[in-house]
Amino acid sequence: MPVKKRVGLDRVQELYENRDMRAKELKAEGRTVMGYMCCLAPLEIMSAAGIVPIRILGNVKEPVTRADAHIETIACPYVRSCLDIALKGKYDFIDGLVVPHTCDNTYALYAIWSSGIVPITPKYHHYIDGPHMTFPTSVEYFDVELGRFKESLEEFTGNKITNQKLTNSIRLYNRNRALLRELYGLRKQGPPLLTGTEMTKILVACRVIPVEESNELLGEVIAEIKNRRAIPTPKTRLLVYGGEIDDTALIELIEESGANVVVDDHCLGVRSFWHDVQVDKNLIHSLGARYILNVACPRTYKQRERGYKEAMDNRFGYLMEFAKEYKVKGVILYIIRYCDTFELDAPGVREYFQKAGYPVLHIEDDYSVTTIGQLKTRVQAFLEMID
Amino acid sequence: MSGWRIPGSRVIERQTIGNAKGANVDVYVAGVDIGSTMTKVVVHSGTILAAVIGPTGPEHRRTAYKVILEALEKAKISLEDLTYVVATGYGRLNVPFADKQMTEITCHARGVSSIFPNVRTAIDIGGQDSKGIKIDKGKVINFVMNDKCAAGTGRFLEVIAEALGVRVEEMGQLSLKAKSVPKISNTCTVFAEQEVISWLAMETKVEDILAGIHDAIATRVHGMAQRVKIEKEVVVTGGCAKNVGLVKALEGKIGYSVLVPPEPLLTGAIGAALIGEDIARQAIDKGTPVRRAERRLSEVTFFDEAASRGNRS
Repeated sequence: MPVKKRVGLDRVQELYENRDMRAKELKAEGRTVMGYMCCLAPLEIMSAAGIVPIRILGNVKEPVTRADAHIETIACPYVRSCLDIALKGKYDFIDGLVVPHTCDNTYALYAIWSSGIVPITPKYHHYIDGPHMTFPTSVEYFDVELGRFKESLEEFTGNKITNQKLTNSIRLYNRNRALLRELYGLRKQGPPLLTGTEMTKILVACRVIPVEESNELLGEVIAEIKNRRAIPTPKTRLLVYGGEIDDTALIELIEESGANVVVDDHCLGVRSFWHDVQVDKNLIHSLGARYILNVACPRTYKQRERGYKEAMDNRFGYLMEFAKEYKVKGVILYIIRYCDTFELDAPGVREYFQKAGYPVLHIEDDYSVTTIGQLKTRVQAFLEMID
Repeated sequence: MSGWRIPGSRVIERQTIGNAKGANVDVYVAGVDIGSTMTKVVVHSGTILAAVIGPTGPEHRRTAYKVILEALEKAKISLEDLTYVVATGYGRLNVPFADKQMTEITCHARGVSSIFPNVRTAIDIGGQDSKGIKIDKGKVINFVMNDKCAAGTGRFLEVIAEALGVRVEEMGQLSLKAKSVPKISNTCTVFAEQEVISWLAMETKVEDILAGIHDAIATRVHGMAQRVKIEKEVVVTGGCAKNVGLVKALEGKIGYSVLVPPEPLLTGAIGAALIGEDIARQAIDKGTPVRRAERRLSEVTFFDEAASRGNRS
């Protein structure tokens, strides 16, 4: 009896629960699967080389037991979690590891992971150096760095990445971004057509399958959600800003306390997909410009223009626009403990929103389900404060 | 049940509580604050009729039931007379007879404002957590909370009291006799305890060490509360507000004097009762029935208990 293929949100649930399922199937079919980290990895180049890129996710439900022997406990808990599950052999199926220089923690992860201590060391590993500023020279530098990455992939796979292949790949990813933006649009109306918890699952599902399949899945999901009749009761609309959120635990806790997360700028949220890559003559430059100038991660510093206010507008104005457009009543800053990248910005972002009249809840978390539960009182008190 | 008391509980005399004014309607409400260490119950009707403080212990579902029975007896009313019950504190979900649960942040702000209407900042130092609450016209406008680390909480004081062989209740007064204040550089409870022991080994006087400990906690709590920008008037609540040495140290950091309610443990329960009264009054004003949760004032049993009883019969 043929197994009925699961579609739409049903498929999302399946992929959310079994994140390595599709990658392992594709590998069994002979495809090359590579794990990548962060929003700075140029997936278009990887796909153009015939590779299936899947995002390296941690596991908030898995206690870190093995990583401490190799990385300090004051390192990013998300990075420690990734390393821990890699040490336990759970990423043994990847053929390659691609890590951009987001922060020093990812650098440490890359160095340890590729040093031969995981059960099966990936055959290919590549570290992409990304500039932290947005000067014209920064983009120029990144172009060269992406060229080096492209050549390295060509050598490993034996596949030439032609302009045509890269163009097609960019178009596929731009389509993926457009579909995600369309889905986010369904959260703008009040009450939103889908919950933040559902969105989190969709975002995870989209990162663990090839882009073509992701586009197909998003099409199904959008059709399914647009057909929804039962509109949930309106709740307090919130924006969540922060680092890696690849599990529903936190968003569920927020939504169970009587809110709807209607827009999210985190590592899997708008930060990773909002901006398209321009298809023009110099594709590598288009990619470089998109990843360095448009990925609004605090690891990239947009230099101060004429004073503090303008610098803040420059760096976080887009977030304020999201808050307005999605009519949020409050902002939650979700900062993973020891994540200097976000922690150093947190007081500024908090003040920026408070001055604009938005209540802000700043939570610091250990990237673990056991500690997420402790945040309940804070989240509930925050919602009581807004009501 | 007359004259019945739970071990370790304490009935608070009405005149010592302060004038926590609520709406003047003829409804009886109760606020139940189940903290990590102490359970507090206030029965209120325009004014406080009864207040009882008892230890929470590991079985706080049972404790809540017993403390409210004692408070009702003291107030000379029955459970049926209560129009509304609000539960707060970290054990708030374990109060089966509560009509509503509110966080202690919201309840503290309400309770403190009822006693000190001009309060702008409430600093609550409880058994297992501490918080800074910014208040404007009785409403929470911002807050910050530490609930993951024992430093800056009552637990820290308990550990140090044990290391020094003094009672927690006498720490405050003793520390006022200090001639010099040694710097306790570790704010981690475990390390601070080691540091205290090494000060003892160097024959530092107990009162001096206590003053150093209070200074360390005050530094920590002040730093945390400063994140919501401390403004006058400042009210300090929670069990640690009873420690005069700690309050003095905190005043030193803030730069001016702070207020302490006559019974600093009760503000959460008072706030819970007043919020209950607001809800009841709004319903009465509108002429609608007060929406209640299904009330079950029965001693809560634990699943394993019920199961084992079932097996026996």
